[in-house]
Amino acid sequence: MAHGLDGVETVQAAALPRSAADRILAFTNDLMVKASSAALVLAGFVLTYSVIVRYFLKISTDWQDETSVFLIIGAVFLSSAAVQALRGHVAIETIVGLLPSRVNQARQIVVDLASLAFCAFFAWKSWALLHEAWVDDYHSGSTWGPPLWIPYSLMTIGMTLLSIQILLQVIDELRRWNSAR
Amino acid sequence: MSLLSIGLLYGGATLFAMFLGMPIAFALGAVATLFMIIFMPGASVDTIAQNVYEEMASITLLSIPLFILKGAAIGRSPAGRDLYGALHAWMHWIPGGLGIANVFACALFAAMAGSSPATCSAIGSAGIPEMRKRGYSPGFASGIIAAGGTLGILLPPSITMILYAVAAEQSLGRLFLAAIGPALLLVALFAGYAMWKFRREFHAALAQYKLAGTESELLRVDTLTVYDKFALLPRVLPFVILLTGVMVALYGGYATPSETAGLGAVLALALIASIYSVWTPRELEPILIATLRESTMLMLIIGMSLLYSYVMSYLHISQSTAQWIVSLELSRWVLLAAILLMVVVLGFFLPPVSIILMTAPIILPPLKAAGFDLIWFGVIMTIIMEMGLIHPPVGLNIFVIKNIAPDIPLWDVVWGVMPFVGLMMLAVVVLCIFPEIATWFPDAIMGAK
Repeated sequence: MAHGLDGVETVQAAALPRSAADRILAFTNDLMVKASSAALVLAGFVLTYSVIVRYFLKISTDWQDETSVFLIIGAVFLSSAAVQALRGHVAIETIVGLLPSRVNQARQIVVDLASLAFCAFFAWKSWALLHEAWVDDYHSGSTWGPPLWIPYSLMTIGMTLLSIQILLQVIDELRRWNSAR
Repeated sequence: MSLLSIGLLYGGATLFAMFLGMPIAFALGAVATLFMIIFMPGASVDTIAQNVYEEMASITLLSIPLFILKGAAIGRSPAGRDLYGALHAWMHWIPGGLGIANVFACALFAAMAGSSPATCSAIGSAGIPEMRKRGYSPGFASGIIAAGGTLGILLPPSITMILYAVAAEQSLGRLFLAAIGPALLLVALFAGYAMWKFRREFHAALAQYKLAGTESELLRVDTLTVYDKFALLPRVLPFVILLTGVMVALYGGYATPSETAGLGAVLALALIASIYSVWTPRELEPILIATLRESTMLMLIIGMSLLYSYVMSYLHISQSTAQWIVSLELSRWVLLAAILLMVVVLGFFLPPVSIILMTAPIILPPLKAAGFDLIWFGVIMTIIMEMGLIHPPVGLNIFVIKNIAPDIPLWDVVWGVMPFVGLMMLAVVVLCIFPEIATWFPDAIMGAK
């Protein structure tokens, strides 16, 4: 169902962590979700503060919008692995129900490998971007001009964790595929 | 390779990846990246991460998670139940007043929470049992809630509208205001239908009573004291104040739309802390986790949709398709009908966010060339996508209703919802004949364009 976007809770039991890698990632994801939650609430306060100082204290605002952008970009990317762990990245599942279970299992593996290839490629290009921004000391073009390695590193870490998460899911599926034979 | 074949391949590859069940965000990103690698210079492939970052790093887009946080905070509190109770106490004397109270409660809640399914579940979980207890047929009761919930993506602060404003490069403030007239039109249509349908069910019950002496709850007359009417008000007022406060901050020029999102989220958290004493980290955790789940999923789809349209435009697929549509020289209304039909079909499979970002570069230039006002079209397109939330095959709100009232057969829900789909089509026709319903309000407040 592709409309599953607007905050309906779908009850999905996360698979029990098995290997050490699974457990480490689950622990990391938990930390990331906490950090992301805090970042989101903080962004809300930063924007509220912005309204107050500009309107009541007549002080011009320069850093608030960009800080909120960084905080929310961080919240989105850092929690994306945790969302993937719950299979929360929504997909069209029209044909899934029609397939025999073995075929469906194979389909899931193919789909996850394709997702993995994309996310890993994206993560790799993010590392390259981060390296460039760090070495050449990139800053944003605003008057405040914060260094860009900050948001880039959040995006890079997030996409890397997401790739690791999908990799672990693929390994898990391959294991199940073999055990079902 | 000709442009036409590249375009067809691009569309075909996307459909294939999506129907294989690849998550929408990754499918869009993977197809875009693949075509970048094959058809675009190596240097542009290297900047893919930077590209996505720059497209996403707009405070308007990134205000979406904060609007979601505000909605989740309100949605998870008992505010929906209180709001509904208060409206019922004040409106029960009108024929069909209970149904109408539900429509109004949905509209008000949607304006606070900004989400269709959240509205359905918050108002529906109190409203559906109450309506059924009072003799409303299950299909009628679920239709009211499913349709009322769709107002969530039309009324400000609708996430769908934020994306449309970004994609169509239109003023978000103007777009929000343009949605208010049509939303009121829909509320009036829904309420009118609820009254008419109630009278039909009422007369059927009355005939049954006269014929066979069968008692029906529909025939019972409520008596609510003045105390009942005022007892619930204090709990509802703060939320109504939040709603109007945020609107005043936005339109009074005190805050930008994104600042409004931050302000709204902080105020909503403060309100549930003070009224329902929800403030400990343990109590806030489910709200924050639900917010993150939805925001992260949505923002990744948005980021990847933007990459997808960037590639489509770099390869001139969108421009050529748009030019081709213009060159057909269709009459205005045929063009509009064809485009809306496409939106309906896409709505069978895709969430509104991807429909907007993927189709905007193709459909907006021809519409503009044909002389349509893009603010007005944003409202029309949103109503069409609202219909996608309640009609099969994937009408999300139908499934929300199935969740809160599992004993109502799916067919009853679907049949109960259908008249409302008809009313929404009627509203679209009315808006085509009288576009002023949408454009008058923003023109009056912000000056003519």
